[in-house]
Amino acid sequence: MKNIKIALFSLFALFATSSCNDDFLDRTQPDTINTGNYPKTAEELATIVNGAYQPLQRPKLYNMRMWTSDIFAGNSIVGAGGGDDGIETTQLSNFVTSTDNQGVLDLWRGPWPGILSANIIINTAPKLNIDETSKNRSMGEAYFLRAHYYFILVRFFGDVPLVTTPQDVNGDLYPARAPKADIYNLIVSDLEKAIQLLPTKQQYSDTEKGRASKGAAIGALAKVYLTLGNWQKVVDLTTQLEGMGYALNPDYADNFNVNKENGVESLFEVQYASDGGYDFWSNENQASWASTFMGPRGANFVGGGWGWNQPTQEFVNSYEAGDNRKAKTIFYAGCPDYDGKEYKASYSLTGYNVKKFLVPLSAFPSYDNSPLNFPIMRYSEVLLMKAEALNELGQTSLAAAPLNLVRARAGLGNVSSGLSQVAFREKVLHERRMELAFEGQRWFDLVRVNNGQYGLDFLHSIGRTNATSKYLLLPIPQIERDRNANLTQNPGY
Amino acid sequence: MKSNYLRCTVAVAALYFSGNFNAQEKEAPIKEQKIEEVVLIGYGKAKVKDLTGSVSVINLNKAENQPVADIGQAIQGRASGVTVVNSGEPGSNVTFRIRGTGTIANNNPLIVVDGMPLNGGLNQINMNDVESINILKDASSTAIYGSRGANGVVMISTKRGTKGGILNFDTFTGMQSVTNMTTVLNAAQYAKFNNELLSNADMATNPEFKNPDALGIGTDWIKALFKPAFMQSYSLSYGDRSEKSNLYVSASYFNQKGVVLNTDYDRYIFQLNGDTKIKPFLKIGNSVKLQHDIKKSGSYDIKGTISSLPTRAIYDENGGWAGPGANAMLYGAIDNPIGKASIVENSTKGYNIQGNIYAEVDLLDGLKFKSLGGVEANLWYERTWSPKFTWGITSQKNSYLREKSNRSITLLWDNTLTYDKTFGEDHHVNAVVGSSAQTNQYNYLEASVQKFPSESTQQIDNGILQPVQHGNMSEWALMSYLGRVNYNYANKYYITATIRRDGSSRFGRDNRWGWFPSAALAWRISNENFMKDSKTINNLKLRAGYGITGNQEIGNYSFSSSYNTYLYNFNNTFVSAVLPTVLPNPNVKWEGQEMINAGFDLDMFNNRISLVVDGYIKNTKEMLVPMSVPVTSGYSDVYVPSINAGRIQNKGIEATLSTRNFVKENFKWSTDLVFSYNKNNVEDINTKTFLPGAGDGTNLNRMFGIITANYPVNVFYGYVTDGIFQNQAEVNAHAVQYAGSNPATSTAPGDIRFKDLNNDGVIDDKDRTIIGNPNPKFTFSLNNTFTYKNWDLTVFLQGSYGNDIYNVNRMYTESMSIIANQSTAVLDRWTGEGTSNSMPRAIFGDPNQNTRVSDRFVEDGSYIKLKNINLSYTLPKGVFGQNFNSVKIFTSAQNLVTWTKYSGFDPEVPVNGIDNGTYPVTRTVSFGLNVAF
Repeated sequence: MKNIKIALFSLFALFATSSCNDDFLDRTQPDTINTGNYPKTAEELATIVNGAYQPLQRPKLYNMRMWTSDIFAGNSIVGAGGGDDGIETTQLSNFVTSTDNQGVLDLWRGPWPGILSANIIINTAPKLNIDETSKNRSMGEAYFLRAHYYFILVRFFGDVPLVTTPQDVNGDLYPARAPKADIYNLIVSDLEKAIQLLPTKQQYSDTEKGRASKGAAIGALAKVYLTLGNWQKVVDLTTQLEGMGYALNPDYADNFNVNKENGVESLFEVQYASDGGYDFWSNENQASWASTFMGPRGANFVGGGWGWNQPTQEFVNSYEAGDNRKAKTIFYAGCPDYDGKEYKASYSLTGYNVKKFLVPLSAFPSYDNSPLNFPIMRYSEVLLMKAEALNELGQTSLAAAPLNLVRARAGLGNVSSGLSQVAFREKVLHERRMELAFEGQRWFDLVRVNNGQYGLDFLHSIGRTNATSKYLLLPIPQIERDRNANLTQNPGY
Repeated sequence: MKSNYLRCTVAVAALYFSGNFNAQEKEAPIKEQKIEEVVLIGYGKAKVKDLTGSVSVINLNKAENQPVADIGQAIQGRASGVTVVNSGEPGSNVTFRIRGTGTIANNNPLIVVDGMPLNGGLNQINMNDVESINILKDASSTAIYGSRGANGVVMISTKRGTKGGILNFDTFTGMQSVTNMTTVLNAAQYAKFNNELLSNADMATNPEFKNPDALGIGTDWIKALFKPAFMQSYSLSYGDRSEKSNLYVSASYFNQKGVVLNTDYDRYIFQLNGDTKIKPFLKIGNSVKLQHDIKKSGSYDIKGTISSLPTRAIYDENGGWAGPGANAMLYGAIDNPIGKASIVENSTKGYNIQGNIYAEVDLLDGLKFKSLGGVEANLWYERTWSPKFTWGITSQKNSYLREKSNRSITLLWDNTLTYDKTFGEDHHVNAVVGSSAQTNQYNYLEASVQKFPSESTQQIDNGILQPVQHGNMSEWALMSYLGRVNYNYANKYYITATIRRDGSSRFGRDNRWGWFPSAALAWRISNENFMKDSKTINNLKLRAGYGITGNQEIGNYSFSSSYNTYLYNFNNTFVSAVLPTVLPNPNVKWEGQEMINAGFDLDMFNNRISLVVDGYIKNTKEMLVPMSVPVTSGYSDVYVPSINAGRIQNKGIEATLSTRNFVKENFKWSTDLVFSYNKNNVEDINTKTFLPGAGDGTNLNRMFGIITANYPVNVFYGYVTDGIFQNQAEVNAHAVQYAGSNPATSTAPGDIRFKDLNNDGVIDDKDRTIIGNPNPKFTFSLNNTFTYKNWDLTVFLQGSYGNDIYNVNRMYTESMSIIANQSTAVLDRWTGEGTSNSMPRAIFGDPNQNTRVSDRFVEDGSYIKLKNINLSYTLPKGVFGQNFNSVKIFTSAQNLVTWTKYSGFDPEVPVNGIDNGTYPVTRTVSFGLNVAF
């Protein structure tokens, strides 16, 4: 009797352990957020949107590789420590780029995490049960950012895969390259949606300043049409921006002043901040690299100071006499003292260094703490786009006005009247070069004007005879083609 | 006369006692003794004679009294198919490899102690407490452990007490020393060398070295870092057994000072085992181990010590630590390693409890139910303290303290129903069915801070700069059902079948559960009528088995899809930025492994000769390999998920031959020969090229081993050398290495010629190939035990053949390219045409990259070691009076002699064959005592 009871009990005990099965075995990772139930609220959605901005900050994009494009565009040389330091950028600037170039690999790797985050928002936010204002803003930001990331890719690499939904291990991980035209269609439609959905810059509170705004989206779309050569649209959009509260800063240097960030001239800038707590070399780092890298070597002007991006003599010679931007953009022998210290030409291999992104040692003693934001679009560029577009439409006389506004701020007089379209175009492109120097814009101008012939002519004129039309596009990194057999290579590589 | 056999636990079969060191016992017929031994198999016991799978039963008596730190080191070489690798550092645990490397993930076997899987290390067990160790090697024995059985299972059980109330005291003291130390240049030789190094590169020489011979010997840094060190062990235990209950309790203390400065290990273990029949049908019992250890790992830099310049002193003129000096070109760039080792403190304190209690009920005739609950708590506290110092290249600007507190708790609940019955005369059935549930949770909390006002206040609260804190937790759970049936007919025909169903939290819901079946057959031919009466063959049993097991040793959350939290800011206000990083792979599942095993056991000539032979084929399928993730997915291509896509095969033969050569009244001699042959082949790793294997931690671009299809795992990969260029004509005739005409900055006479494997005229990445294989062709051991009256002598040889070692240390000690000391091998360097065809020229900066990864540093790692020699004398009973049951004095030496061509400290390097500053395995000589009261 007793035995049977015990037997039954033991059998019960045996199988009792089977009841708490799957719950017992469900263990979720405690230090990460499970994608299954996130985001649910507007605040949570905003954190995913913030995540879509974050790749902009990284060295693969604006913290380093984007501004190094000025080096291979011929405005400057790598400089740095000599020898192998920055060899990948030197190779790019000498047009001996190979398919395993580290700079190219970084530029390829930079935008895709942002595109993934944007795709997640665009595909999941519509289903969320949150207020329309928040939803619209978040969606608008996602469209803006996706368009921006694709714009970077398509201008550097040409045809790229068109990925608009987030993929997992079972999805299509090996897409082929889509034609440029399709990418541009997506960019345009994304920006049009962004323009609809985003609030204006004024509608953001102080702690939200820096988020994408309606004006930023309009400016971005204008830039896309500029690249595509749709001049009328450029004129329309830049005109639309005129009434939206943007203006030129009285002083050119205000655009690169830590105390005047996200100012009246700024349409969109990459945000950086001090004391983020992350290691300088990590992906999550919040500090800007620009001051540390571009500061003159051995000069003690800034924390760090590794002498990258040294302007060439040809670039310096391009400044018109009286251009007040010269002393605010670069250092040269005889320029005003910086932070109480004299600049010596011996600090650099070319005799010049970049000044505009530096933060002084006295204010920022540590190399890893510069909070200076990096500009992506300023109102002065809007004016220059309008001038260029009007000129291309044959309305050269009307084109002079916006150009002259930019020149006036630089302390220069108006352009001569009665210039031909060709001459005026030279003037605008020159103005773009000096106004937007070292902001990562020059390479794109070289590649877009006259289908890149302008760029090749210019590069040959400064002795970079290796440059051929093949190099107007970067190669698809070999390591990526090894992973994805569907990726073809750009011609000539 | 002593009889050396394993102890029996509560067992079905007859037990033979040879009461601990009881010298007067009657010798039972050898045949019955051996066959009746009982061994632990998963969730049950079986007699040796009834085993159908491949199980190595280790004879602990032959391995006793070795001067080693833990049981893992003691069984090195004792079981066929089992490789044990020991790292010399005090307090470290051994690595096992059973039947070859089966996966690129975790290869550790499951270790089960007293029925509970062990989460911590073998350091938690006192060697003297171990009753038996069995290693389950083939799938038919390990399938009962299902998803944890793929790498083999090591079953350890601790003593439970024997009749007679015996008190044992065991102790030994040993001295460890480093053997085969690298010899480096003395000050005079170094100065001469350094002058040549710099002038070859057109650089200014060190003004202090104008007269090299005047510098004499200089500093011997190696001698300052390595010193002979003591090791001591004390163990006291008491065991007793009566009809109703048995008890075993023990306490031990072990201390091992490290041969390297400031390394040390202290360990305390307390063990309590008991079983009691509180009612005729109800037995309860427990096995509890409490362990506390303190491991001081100091801050040693073996490479740095060897490289330190002999022209620099250890102490400065004030008696403080000498710094290397501001100019690295004159003084080198290595912080005073003796200073660092002396002042930086690094310690780990551990508190470990492993215990289980059980109740066993006799339900019906032959039917038992057992429920076992176990807990393992591992708590360990790490602490690093560095005082402020300015004499280093990378000076410690501020004093620094880091403390980390870790906690890992494992819970287990097993329930089994066992049925054991003999029907009629000949039908014997043993069946078990059961369930097992296990969970583990790991938490840690860490804080570090800098700048302390005084070095006497070393608490986190006292630091003022840069506080950093981290903390996290992780957990897993495992739920299983198991069953096994053993049937034998007349002890002649055996069949075993097992099945296990495991569910693990490490896999997503769809892939969580797996079935792991196995089956084995055995035929004792020797019981057949035609062989029963054979005088020569006492036992011949043929065995064959097949099974499927799994490996689930991957991260706890590999299947999950998650976001990571980063940071962004808007107008300098910080906000959380949430981003996906790792591509989710919800399909991740077990690595599956199938193994076929066939073998036989043969005992001949009245069991004077015993031979066990096994052959196996082990196929790992769906091996977890890193996925190649394209960047266009938006996910990281560096932090990638694992996918089940690889295959590795191991094939091998193992043999154990035991012979009792002489069995006389006063003299006995027995021999055991163990032989293991394994061939490993990576069949598929889901990539056309290769997976990086072992590399140099300080330089991520340097990779020594790779994992690639159609080769064994971890083969070495690099360039092939082809002598040295003796003159410029030879340089010009060969493929381009580093172009240029200046011998200071390009390839020149005296540099190594690398083979142009693809004949394209350029030496580049494409000229690399497989240059070595760290996997041995076979390993073996030979043990001879001699007994003459009261004396016993055991000589144990162990060796390995056919394995290569990549000697990374020589990449530094023979680099001849920076300001660092070199080994005396560089005295034979090339200095002119014909002076050497193997050691290149000394030139700062190494323009030809003579130190690149190549077969220059691949050496033959085959060796034979006199692993242990043990001489003992058992005092005749009654010498110290009736209270002493037996007293044995012994002397034992470990790693006494090594015969090898390998030039490094010791050919026992990690399984991947890379010798990179590995802590040297030492030679130890000890004296000790076993006393039984």
